[in-house]
Amino acid sequence: MLQKIVLRNQSKTQLVIALLGAFLGVLFLLVSVHYLFKVNQFGAGSEMLGPNTLIIQKKVSTTTTLQLASNTFSSHEIKVIENKSFVQEVQPVQSNNFGVEFATSDPMLPYFRSDVFIQSVDARFLDVKSKLWKWEAGDEFVPIILPRDFLVMLNTFMSSSGIPQISDELAKDVNFSLLLSNDFSKKQFRAKIIGFTNEVSSILVPDSYMNYGKKTFGKRSKEQITQLMLSSKEKKFGLVEKFLEEHHYESKNAQLVTGRLKSVVSMLLIVIVFISFLTLIFSSFVLIQYIQLLISRNVYEIRTLLRLGYAPRTLYRVFVRYFVLLYLIICFAATAVFLIFKSQIDGILHSSGIYIELNISSFTWITLVISFVLFYLTALVSAQKSVLKEF
Amino acid sequence: MNIQFNQVLPVPLSSMKHSADSLWNSNVILEQGKKIVIEARSGRGKSTFIHLLFGIRKDYNGQILVDNKNLSQFTQKDLVDYRQNVLSVVFQDLQLFPYISVYENLKVKNDLTKHFSEDQLIEMLSRVGLADKINQPCGLLSMGQQQRVAIIRALCQSFTWIFMDEPFSHLDELNAEICMGLINEECEKNRAGWIITSLGMHLNYDYDKLIHI
Repeated sequence: MLQKIVLRNQSKTQLVIALLGAFLGVLFLLVSVHYLFKVNQFGAGSEMLGPNTLIIQKKVSTTTTLQLASNTFSSHEIKVIENKSFVQEVQPVQSNNFGVEFATSDPMLPYFRSDVFIQSVDARFLDVKSKLWKWEAGDEFVPIILPRDFLVMLNTFMSSSGIPQISDELAKDVNFSLLLSNDFSKKQFRAKIIGFTNEVSSILVPDSYMNYGKKTFGKRSKEQITQLMLSSKEKKFGLVEKFLEEHHYESKNAQLVTGRLKSVVSMLLIVIVFISFLTLIFSSFVLIQYIQLLISRNVYEIRTLLRLGYAPRTLYRVFVRYFVLLYLIICFAATAVFLIFKSQIDGILHSSGIYIELNISSFTWITLVISFVLFYLTALVSAQKSVLKEF
Repeated sequence: MNIQFNQVLPVPLSSMKHSADSLWNSNVILEQGKKIVIEARSGRGKSTFIHLLFGIRKDYNGQILVDNKNLSQFTQKDLVDYRQNVLSVVFQDLQLFPYISVYENLKVKNDLTKHFSEDQLIEMLSRVGLADKINQPCGLLSMGQQQRVAIIRALCQSFTWIFMDEPFSHLDELNAEICMGLINEECEKNRAGWIITSLGMHLNYDYDKLIHI
């Protein structure tokens, strides 16, 4: 009965416009927040090097080949790079100056061996828990990060031997060995793959293992720094790329392209999240204005009911309940449309060979809940204020 | 529950001259259970008097004490309780909802107080001659019929005082008498008093006190 009295004098057109605005606001927010998180997660876990990490080297040209220009980094050049605003950290990449042989060492796999290069990288450049990325003399095995191309090569060998290929996960369970040597001695170590990389062409080992190898088997000549490990600050890949170009440095392109694309898409999505947020605020504001308009149109009814003895709380709750229910329906409808959108977009991305995680991040749901709670509180305060004015 | 007026003067009436026996600017006690008529010419503050007592207007000097408690210091909860259980009012403009039926107008109040059963409401409507109008929207009734609906609605609660602002202005003598009978019955049940404002035409019913304003 109360609803029949206080919710009359509605302007259906205004209500539909306000609801449509709120629906679009919620929908845009859900889509943009969801894909902002997915883009930031894109590639995570498949690459052991940190998301903003790349290995740089000087471009090899005729002049460097003829030794007219140096292809090594001086300490001054390293210092200059270190001081750039977009650089988080820089570290010279150490390479082996002793013999290294990589071999399978597991009854599950046929014997396979190859001379390889190894390089070392500090744990802070990796997307890996640092406790996994350490080695001390006497440890059971050496943790290694294998170039993905190397696994492809290994699988090609398996295939030609009539043995089933091994997956990333299986490769991590298999035993390998590293044989370090020089002209006088050699020593074998058990090795375990802890991850893969697309960015480096050599096998990565912890710093301490490389130092051990150099100390025990290395040549005494002075070490040349030809590669640097560089991690840039968030969303600064554009500046890194410009810097590399200006100084004739180069990096493996994939990381740069991914980084640049992620930076651009993230920035675009942040702008879209911001616009969606503004849309939602304005559309919710229109809905709140509509509540106030409805209350002002039914001011006689509200005043009379208050004079009949109704508590203000009873009356403003009628408005709050009605509009919160409408908002809830909007949220459900927007979520349903979002899920349809998501399945379409994910399908398009999948067919284009872009694999993103299909689950919806909890932050997307939290955003929805926050928008609902904010609307509820605003509607409550607004209705309360308008009704109490008539008491 | 006595209501005491201590030197009460509404701000809009402060520039007017008020006689010595006027309610305004003097000390007057409305004793529980009494039947009081407030008589005044138009524009002397009869409706203001009801609005002050109902806690709708606060623009006055002096004090109104309800059971020795200052009305201006009533909290929101006190005022809701006061309107639900102590004071019932028939406003001059009746304040009915014209687009809902006669019965629904009564139900709006009765749903809140649960004072009468459905049968009792229908019986009261029959007594005032509105049995055939139960489902008719109030806005389609004559002013006299609407006054009768407003009076029954005011009776749909327990009260200590019932205030009526020119409640019979559109009623013929017979209907006024029927309504008065109903009001007196309910006052008796509630051990309550009534206050009726009038333009000065003397009424054909008994009262205990006449106050001029």
